[in-house]
Amino acid sequence: MSPPLEPQADFMKFPTVFLALALAAGAAQARDVTHELGTTDVPDSPERIVVLEFSFIDALAALNLAPVGIADDDQRDRVQPVWSERIGDDWTSVGTRKTPNLEIIASLQPDLIIADKSRHAAVYETLGQIAPTVVYDSLTGDYEDMLAVADEIGTALGRAEEMDAFQAGHGARMDALRADVSEQTQGDDAQFGVINANGLWLHSPKSYVGSLLASFGFAPAMPLTGSDSYGELYQKTTLEQLSALDPGLLILGKSGDGRTLDQDWNADSLWQQIDAVERGRLFNVSSDLWSRARGMLTAEEIAADIRDIAATLK
Amino acid sequence: MTDLTFSRTGRPSRIRLSRGGMRGAVLTCVLAAGALASLLTGGRDDVGLAQLAGLFAGEAASPAEQTMRDIRLPRTLAAAGLGINLGVAGLLLQAVTRNPLASPAILGINQGAALGIVLGLTVPALAVVPGWLLASVFGLAAACLTFAIAGLVSGRIDSMRLILGGVAVGAIGFSAVRLGYTLEDDIAREVVRWTVGDIADLRIDAALRLLAFAVPGLGLAYLMAHRLNLMAMGHAASHGLGFDPRATLVQGTVLAALLTGVSISVAGPIAFVGLVAPHIARWLCGADHRRLLPVVVLIGATLTIWADALSKLLPQAEEAPVGIVVAMLGAPWLLVSVLRRSGTAHV
Amino acid sequence: MSDARRPEFPGLRGPVTLALLGALLPVLMFAGLFAGAIPLEIETVVNSLLGRDGPRQDFIVLQSRLPRALLAALAGGALALSGALIQALMRNPLASPKIVGINSGAAFAVLVTAFYIPALPHSLLPVPAALGGLMAGALVWWCAQRGDIDPRQLTLVGLAVGLTLDAGVDALLVANTGPESSAPLIWLTGSLWGRGWTHLASVAPVLLTLAAAALILAFRLDLQALGPRRAAGLGVRIGLERTLALLAAVILASVAVSVVGVLGFVGLMAPHVATRLVGGRHRIMLPTAALFGAVLTVGADTLGRAIRPPLEISAGILTALMGAAFFIWLLIAEDRRI
Repeated sequence: MSPPLEPQADFMKFPTVFLALALAAGAAQARDVTHELGTTDVPDSPERIVVLEFSFIDALAALNLAPVGIADDDQRDRVQPVWSERIGDDWTSVGTRKTPNLEIIASLQPDLIIADKSRHAAVYETLGQIAPTVVYDSLTGDYEDMLAVADEIGTALGRAEEMDAFQAGHGARMDALRADVSEQTQGDDAQFGVINANGLWLHSPKSYVGSLLASFGFAPAMPLTGSDSYGELYQKTTLEQLSALDPGLLILGKSGDGRTLDQDWNADSLWQQIDAVERGRLFNVSSDLWSRARGMLTAEEIAADIRDIAATLK
Repeated sequence: MTDLTFSRTGRPSRIRLSRGGMRGAVLTCVLAAGALASLLTGGRDDVGLAQLAGLFAGEAASPAEQTMRDIRLPRTLAAAGLGINLGVAGLLLQAVTRNPLASPAILGINQGAALGIVLGLTVPALAVVPGWLLASVFGLAAACLTFAIAGLVSGRIDSMRLILGGVAVGAIGFSAVRLGYTLEDDIAREVVRWTVGDIADLRIDAALRLLAFAVPGLGLAYLMAHRLNLMAMGHAASHGLGFDPRATLVQGTVLAALLTGVSISVAGPIAFVGLVAPHIARWLCGADHRRLLPVVVLIGATLTIWADALSKLLPQAEEAPVGIVVAMLGAPWLLVSVLRRSGTAHV
Repeated sequence: MSDARRPEFPGLRGPVTLALLGALLPVLMFAGLFAGAIPLEIETVVNSLLGRDGPRQDFIVLQSRLPRALLAALAGGALALSGALIQALMRNPLASPKIVGINSGAAFAVLVTAFYIPALPHSLLPVPAALGGLMAGALVWWCAQRGDIDPRQLTLVGLAVGLTLDAGVDALLVANTGPESSAPLIWLTGSLWGRGWTHLASVAPVLLTLAAAALILAFRLDLQALGPRRAAGLGVRIGLERTLALLAAVILASVAVSVVGVLGFVGLMAPHVATRLVGGRHRIMLPTAALFGAVLTVGADTLGRAIRPPLEISAGILTALMGAAFFIWLLIAEDRRI
């Protein structure tokens, strides 16, 4: 994986004024937007937008645009507070991300739908009958890929310069947070995983959270080999495998107050002897934020969590 | 696979003891090899047989020794317990129904028990009931329904109706479980993984619970062995010999449901062990249930222990759930044996 | 069990029942246009249907509910017809596309295609589904041919083939846990979510042609129901007729499964209900079964859309629950009667 800091820095140096001028020439009409599944005629400034994945909420919130419909898995609290601060609470739930309710989407009379490549390819044409639909990859790829997708969404909405401005500010804020922690985190091997009552899924260094941790100076606990397949990005892991990995810092994403597997493992001396556990470097975070809510605003929230974690290290 | 009515079963076994002893020895060796393979594979490279010494090391055990003591040995024991429980349950069901296809999965007991577990997870009022009890009660209810369909009400069990009724009952149980597929990714992934049987996180308490059912279960089954042999001769014959085959049917089914229920509450529904193990046992040592029982114990344990070892040995990032490996071993076997039989049936 | 050979009902009962079911289906489909996540006024629906001015919901009425209702009717009818043919051929009243392994074969083939040939357009999924179902059916048929065609034997082989393929389906699901698996998982439960005119167009010609062919075979099946010997005496070529009818049944079920997934129990239940309603004559029984299957599936899909919006309950889950409960009642009742 490339060192994530450098492209970020390049991006900030990019002459945004020039870019804005270049784009201004083509504005003011409906535009052809090229995306993962083709080219779509998108109205100039869409106002009634339905988003079918969480990371798209983030891109809209960054531009202070409120979607009218969100596939929130029928659980409104899945929409992170950092987003609802900017988009309000007036959106309608359109059901699960897996099978969004097409009738409700149609009843909202949207002028743009933003859908995910792997989840919604099967209904791309149907969505196109409701409203112009653009499709991006929301679920795979690392932090840099997420930034690139947000950039594309900005362009699709005809707000490329606003998105660039936001990303510049975001990059600066992230850099400031990185500077805060770099001394504490250097050299520590950190591992993030989502844990529930039935299992622990470790996020590999190539995953979204893995790339974020690396950009904050942590060393990877897992080997950097392996493909980008979903099964290797998010690996179900037994206690024995975890003990072989022996991370020096372990961050566990949990959802709600239910029982999780690490509470069972507390009785195992093998768990107690994992480096991170033994040294008291075990941290609980929200799995909704860390593993489900990709985006720039949420990345800053994650970065704040990382800063709090780092503050306890030295 | 033998034929539907077990015509061979009444015949006394002609295998001489010495050959039986030989087969027993070979089987034990295969079992021991599987146990070794299961004990010697896992996430850590530094764990070997020498680490068994850690059993007695107490607090002073090294991480490798703890891995052997706390994780691998219990997991291998749990695999063996599952194989024993499911194998004995299958043998009991096949004997009392006189149907070689009868097994917990095919009679709907697995799916009924799975429904019980899912209800226990989702209905708050049921959260206080222990999982094995819910699984056993629902598994038993499923078995009753299947038997009712098969003709228990009129007092005679039709073997084809038994199988088809089991498929119908199983479908009800699983339609509710499959509802989980349509929910969000995490639940769907858990449901998929759970329904295929996963023992990766079992510890000594689970292994002991399985064995605590296996030992008395085996004893009770042994007490029934003579009546099981008589049942093979047909209901009329058993009436003539002075016992009620329906009582044996009920006892055998309840025992099988208990053994299946505890297994499912611990590891999820594992199919094929209960179907395949009794067949291999009969193929090896004939039809006398007094001999079949110990053999089915050996074979059931061998199957699941090898499946456990293979689930850890298969080259991929995640371990394959043991139930998948069992199915991959058992399904082709079932297919081939049915095909072989269909080829020779009427020649 | 003896229903298929029971003396047929005299008089008008069959045609009247058929006409009533035939009238019920369009009524139910029309009623379904009003129900769902967004309940609609009669004016809105009529405006959209007729293209008139005023409040309209064109997508919901014309692109979603109408094609879904037609597809549910067609697929449910096809599965029911397939089940009725299989039961008649195997002279086993408990047989169905599920039990002879066709559903599992189609499901396995569709999952393999979806996971490993993702470039294949979704509209072409009926092709691998039909192939998978045919291969499972052919395997069962071939095994049964090696001996004499004993219906019990055929069911046993079908069960073994089905169980083996189900194990394969489980393995595929465990190996593919990523977001790309979400559409196949929904499809496995038997759902019409996201289906529209393109799906209808891709299966309707095949299903309607085969259904017509099956109904033509129905008369000859009546003769077969008398038993092979007497049918042969009446000049029916048993081997050819059976092969054709079984082929029709397998393709009907596979193609239906490819587009709506595994709709549990429609194929098993519909022929039984039809036999009880109109007797065993296939000329009347087959269309009655098809209509009942269509009514059941349209009802399940409408119910699943309306129960708990914004979520949709898969039609297959509802047909399995209703169907299995009914089936069990049927079996117990029959057992008591004997």
